Amino acid sequence: MADKAIMYDATKCTACRGCQVACKQWNENDEQGLEQTTNRGSYENPPDLSPRTWLRITFHEVEVNGKVKWLFNRQACMHCTDAACVRVCPNGTLYHNEYGTVSYNKDTCTGCGYCVEACPFHIPRLDGNKISGLAKMAKCAFCTQPGLDRISQGWEPACVKTCPPKALVYGNRDQLVLLAKQRVSELKSKGVPNANLYGEKELNGLHVMYILEESPELYGLPLDPQIPPVTIAWKGILQPIGWILGGLTLAGLALNYIVAREAKINRDLPGRKEK
Amino acid sequence: MEQEIVRYRKPTVILHWIHAGAFVTLFLTGLILFVPPLAILAQDGWTRLLHRIAAVIFIVAPLIYIPLNWKSSIRGIKDAFRWSAEDLGWLQAAPRYYFLCDEEAMPPQGHMNTGQKMWWFMVIVFGLIFAISGLIMWFLKGIVPPGVIQWFIFLHDVAFIATALMFFVHIYMSVVHPLVRPLRTGSWASMTRGKVSAEYARTHYGKWYEEVTSSKKRKE
Repeated sequence: MADKAIMYDATKCTACRGCQVACKQWNENDEQGLEQTTNRGSYENPPDLSPRTWLRITFHEVEVNGKVKWLFNRQACMHCTDAACVRVCPNGTLYHNEYGTVSYNKDTCTGCGYCVEACPFHIPRLDGNKISGLAKMAKCAFCTQPGLDRISQGWEPACVKTCPPKALVYGNRDQLVLLAKQRVSELKSKGVPNANLYGEKELNGLHVMYILEESPELYGLPLDPQIPPVTIAWKGILQPIGWILGGLTLAGLALNYIVAREAKINRDLPGRKEK
Repeated sequence: MEQEIVRYRKPTVILHWIHAGAFVTLFLTGLILFVPPLAILAQDGWTRLLHRIAAVIFIVAPLIYIPLNWKSSIRGIKDAFRWSAEDLGWLQAAPRYYFLCDEEAMPPQGHMNTGQKMWWFMVIVFGLIFAISGLIMWFLKGIVPPGVIQWFIFLHDVAFIATALMFFVHIYMSVVHPLVRPLRTGSWASMTRGKVSAEYARTHYGKWYEEVTSSKKRKE
């Protein structure tokens, strides 16, 4: 199946946060009680993602060429093609589904939290007991949760469905890339010189792409997101070395057993009794 | 009855088995995260809970033992770091000894032979690395930057690989190797009953046997 994606056009977003609400309702995260928040002097609320908040709109007041700009951004799972979370997940709880986005099986999650630390966008969150270590990871699953799967029904994700200014668009990824590029050049011709597309190439392609009017950094996005070097050193180098050394050790011990047993039998042959 | 020599005192034997039980639990609950087809056993994190319970025993048991047995603990820890030319003799003789069962190839050994010293050294060094990196992963998650936690996971894995290899060798040497004398006299007896036969001590730990018997004579 063709890869699916969401395109978020920050230049159309009004920060109504309808997507935030729709996400919570559809995924039944509102049923676990509301998060108490306090006024921090910003419309941004809640202050961060959480195991019960998988999507939120962030607000950025930045100064560009002496003028204050109020930028909005959509913070949720990016559904990377080269996903650090999938790399570090010990038992395949996190996986790429047939649409190329990153789903997870809540039942098999061990609560190890490796994905929480590895994600270059700091998206997955852990819900659980710090002392016992019993925990479950939660994040946006691109509306593919079992029983709440909109995509297999041919519907768009809940956030896209609800977006009043059509800042969120759902579709085949390759078509959205073309659409996004058109939109960027349109913006540039309309006097938005810094307009850019984020997510086309990052981590071999994100499945949530961003049309931005300023540098991604001003939206709180990393300019060049990478799989952390320690993740590569750990999963790609150290663990294979461990497998090789473990195999060699066991083989060496087996060889020793065969040789030494033979030697001992020969030594203990009649005529040379053990002391 | 055959004469026997105390090789490990009772507290040491008890510590060994408590620590061994904790280590095996930690090893198995950690191993399943290392082997993808087994990792499904870690589902719902019950192995994480088990890992933590065993970790507390792993850390607390020596912390109780050491103050109660201060002198012998310090001597034992020093032994792990004291290496000399004699260890070269062991290393040179080891292949003939362990592969060809040529017991005469081995020069007389002290209380710990070089192989045991290597294991003991790793127990101390990697035990500390395990404990420190583990405590950081347990309690500092979300407090220190995620990259720091990841590097300590990496270090925990380095210690895991190193000790797993030595653990295989340790088990093999003490219960499987053809030269191991079963039950009453050999290494198994030394860690279960704490005693070995005088004959076994004389042939396997010649230097230690000399020390023990001569000091006994002096006392008498």
